[in-house]
Amino acid sequence: MASKIKTSSTAEYFAKNLQQVGFSSPIKAVLTTLKEAVDNSLDACEEHGILPEIEVSIQKIGKGGSKSTDLIKVSIEDNGPGLEVDTLPKVFGEYLASSKFGQGQCSRGQQGIGISAATTWAQLTNASGVMVLSKTKNMRKAIKAVIDVDIKANKGVYKKKDTVDWDKKHGLRAEFKIDGRVQLNGDGGLLTYLEGTTLVNPHLSLKYKLLDQDWVKIKRVTDDVPKIPKPTLPHPHTMKLGEFMTHSHLYGGMTLSKFLKNGFSRVTDSVIKDFVKHGLPKGMLSKTLKKTREGDFKKIFQAIQDSEMASPSTKSVLTIGEESLSKSILRLGEVDYFSVVTRRPKICDFKPVVVEVAIARFLNKGAKSEEQTVQLLRFANRVPLQFDKAACAITQAVETVKWRSYGLAQSRNSLPIGPYVIAVSMTSPFIKFKNASKETIDANEELVEEIRRALMQAGQKLGRHLKREHKAADLERKIAHIEKFGPILVNGLVRITGANKARKKRAEEGLRKILGRDAKAAEDQLQLAEDRLAAQKARQKEKFGDLRESEEAIDETKVLKTAKATPKKTKAAKKKASTKKQATGNSKKAKKKSAVKKKVKKKLQKKATPRNKK
Amino acid sequence: MALMKIRDSKINIPKEAKALCEKMLADLEKSKKPTLQAIKCSLDNSIYNPKKGYLTPGDKRVTTELNVSSVLKLSRTIFMLEMLLNNIKTGAVNTKREFYYMAKGLIKGGKELKPLDFDDQPESDAIIDFICDFLQVYREEMNCFANDRGGQTYSKQLIVTETMADGEKAVIDLGSLGTSPFQPKNRPQSLKLKTSKKIDFCLVVESEGTANTLVANGFTKRNKCIIMGAQGVPSNAVRGWCKTIQTQLDVPIYFFGDLDAYTMQNIYRTLKAGSAASLIRNSDFSAPEVKFLGVLPEDVKKYDLHCYHVNEKNASDARTLKKAKDALTNDPFFKDKKNKKLADILRWLLKNKIRCEQQSLFSVDPTDQLMTEKIILEKIKNKKYV
Repeated sequence: MASKIKTSSTAEYFAKNLQQVGFSSPIKAVLTTLKEAVDNSLDACEEHGILPEIEVSIQKIGKGGSKSTDLIKVSIEDNGPGLEVDTLPKVFGEYLASSKFGQGQCSRGQQGIGISAATTWAQLTNASGVMVLSKTKNMRKAIKAVIDVDIKANKGVYKKKDTVDWDKKHGLRAEFKIDGRVQLNGDGGLLTYLEGTTLVNPHLSLKYKLLDQDWVKIKRVTDDVPKIPKPTLPHPHTMKLGEFMTHSHLYGGMTLSKFLKNGFSRVTDSVIKDFVKHGLPKGMLSKTLKKTREGDFKKIFQAIQDSEMASPSTKSVLTIGEESLSKSILRLGEVDYFSVVTRRPKICDFKPVVVEVAIARFLNKGAKSEEQTVQLLRFANRVPLQFDKAACAITQAVETVKWRSYGLAQSRNSLPIGPYVIAVSMTSPFIKFKNASKETIDANEELVEEIRRALMQAGQKLGRHLKREHKAADLERKIAHIEKFGPILVNGLVRITGANKARKKRAEEGLRKILGRDAKAAEDQLQLAEDRLAAQKARQKEKFGDLRESEEAIDETKVLKTAKATPKKTKAAKKKASTKKQATGNSKKAKKKSAVKKKVKKKLQKKATPRNKK
Repeated sequence: MALMKIRDSKINIPKEAKALCEKMLADLEKSKKPTLQAIKCSLDNSIYNPKKGYLTPGDKRVTTELNVSSVLKLSRTIFMLEMLLNNIKTGAVNTKREFYYMAKGLIKGGKELKPLDFDDQPESDAIIDFICDFLQVYREEMNCFANDRGGQTYSKQLIVTETMADGEKAVIDLGSLGTSPFQPKNRPQSLKLKTSKKIDFCLVVESEGTANTLVANGFTKRNKCIIMGAQGVPSNAVRGWCKTIQTQLDVPIYFFGDLDAYTMQNIYRTLKAGSAASLIRNSDFSAPEVKFLGVLPEDVKKYDLHCYHVNEKNASDARTLKKAKDALTNDPFFKDKKNKKLADILRWLLKNKIRCEQQSLFSVDPTDQLMTEKIILEKIKNKKYV
């Protein structure tokens, strides 16, 4: 007897498989909840041209229901457009309810799963869904409600609903009380996520409070809201036969010729002529799609696949930009030096992709010692990826670059070593992830190569900084050699040969002359390295202007962070400090190194003086 | 006290060293960069002369010029040279490690010498080797020894006479040592050898353990021979001792070791023809008459010996195979037609990708402890060696 076949709702499936969408451990649960809410806020703001201001608070409020967990309150508040009363349950309580699914846009969220999964997690672990407070610009009062997921029906339902006063013009606040555990640092840490999000969203102002720590405020470094490019039509070469036929159903009454031109990108009359040359029966072009049979579709599809076509347009791809990335990286801490690269949009596996890379050496951040591997930050459509890094295209690309040639230590096929942060951001309307939790980008060969190229470009820029440092160190070492070894060598030779004092003096002078020449050569090399670096900086300045504003932002952030620890400075003193910093550049180390040359020159002059007088 | 000489050398080390230092000082006075020139000790400067039977240096020289990069090395060189010359003057003898500590002691005592300090012994060893290279002398001639020993040697017929530094002579009859081996220390070339009865052959065994086993089972009782353990890659003392046996006793010498590329290239070739790293000393530290007794490829088949597969995917094995290939194309020893049969063994190893250990002969008849001895003797009798 055949068993009864039951159909389950989408919500039922996800409620039983929350581990697939990022709720596989208590630590990941907190991070995923935060991530989904912040992603939604940023997407909503960008869609409506609003500069996002997000406030995040994560607090322990009790003991969790399950073993080794705490009850965590995750609150996210934004200044976005807010949601209407009938939209709120759809967004927070219904799976696969999305305005962006399959649109081919570079938005963070795509399928409409994440935030509903967070509500489900709250419901499963704490018997209550999400508390939301929402206000649109048309509302006089805000809606305050608790939304649950009706798991059987895959629908969001209001549990409590009220209207309240809210001093915000528009915005949304979501509060989840969930079982979880808080991890601040490391690959899966909340701080790592927040800093990553800050880095790739230069237009974001973020304020956060994690557990008992003080509020931290990070100001935006650009007032430009990224304009999400409009989605482009699909390219016929990216489709499979079934998809092609399904796509045709949307254009039912059209002729094939019109369908090809209106339903796809890069198809023109001359391209259609080429399809005909490759076996598309000419008579079919004027036939309506409804009259086209399955066998004909196969012929049409084959002819298209056999034809050469221009690659898909790259206009649908969004970039952060080198300037914004440069300013943004300075928000993360005291940067010794950095290099950023934004590649031009490229087609990889028929999908438009933009890769951006930022490499920075922080003074008090990144790997704690010279022996540790670099901190790698991965981003897909401006969302940090924090788990399963081994199989990710970005990790593979970083590991296969030969970093030694840029002056970084590296074991074969591993991450480079040193106190650096390497951030790689990939944006594309069609990112191929390895799993539903979107943590690993599929390592397509073309994509890995494109990321490698971006890394190599950034590495070359970084290499110039390092080369200058090495040259300075080399010069310092050489000068030290003259002082240290010269007398030992001469004395040894004098003792063995039994030479007199006059010969000794002549030999000492001769030695100084010889080694001085070598030091001069090293100094010239340092000068060359410095000139090259200066040229690079000049190019950067020409391109982006001065990055002073962002430095001011850092100063303010630092002031905020250290407000408790240090006595208050007057406004004037703060300004003075800030100006001083601008004048001396952003690198304490670089300042120290530049002194080397002066020191060396002085020493050489000092040594040369008696001879010159003579 | 004059030590026994290793060779008849015309080089007067103190005079030579002083002349070099004199030239360096004169160059400095003229603000000219002083240089030190040494023979390039590498395979690309090695010449194999089949008549001589060992690797000799070619024309290539390495010049070290004084500059900011080499000033440390040259300062250390002059500092260590002074110490070595002092030892030659007083007749004192020290090991390389003792020199390392003596240098550290002097540096500790002189504040201005501190920059010369060595972090580890290999640093001071390298300076001593550099001094020997540019003076073209043996380290032992500079009264500096490594703590190496000639291989453990057994014989019922061999008598060794050693002349001590004070002229007194010590006579060691190896036949009276029981199961204890005789192990010459440094400068084995200065020992005088004679035999109580005619010796038929000398067997150099790669593994000292296997040499001991053969002796324990009565090999030296039943055969008029010398058995010596090579201790893997032969040290200067093993090489010098082997050369002494070859020169003074004129007996056939056979090498018994593993059948693998490493043994062929690093152990047997070094024993027979010296190495590229010691080009200036090969004439006194190689025994060109040594024959390769086995294990031979034919033995593997004949005795059905257990072999190990050499896996190209294994990094270490892959390196060995690459080195063997390089040896066939670049090593003048294996390239010379006189050693064609040895090169053929290397080719066989590369082709079959296997290796066979000397101890595998013990698997031929595990119940017969004398089987390995029987096979060795049969191979010598039937001239089954290369």
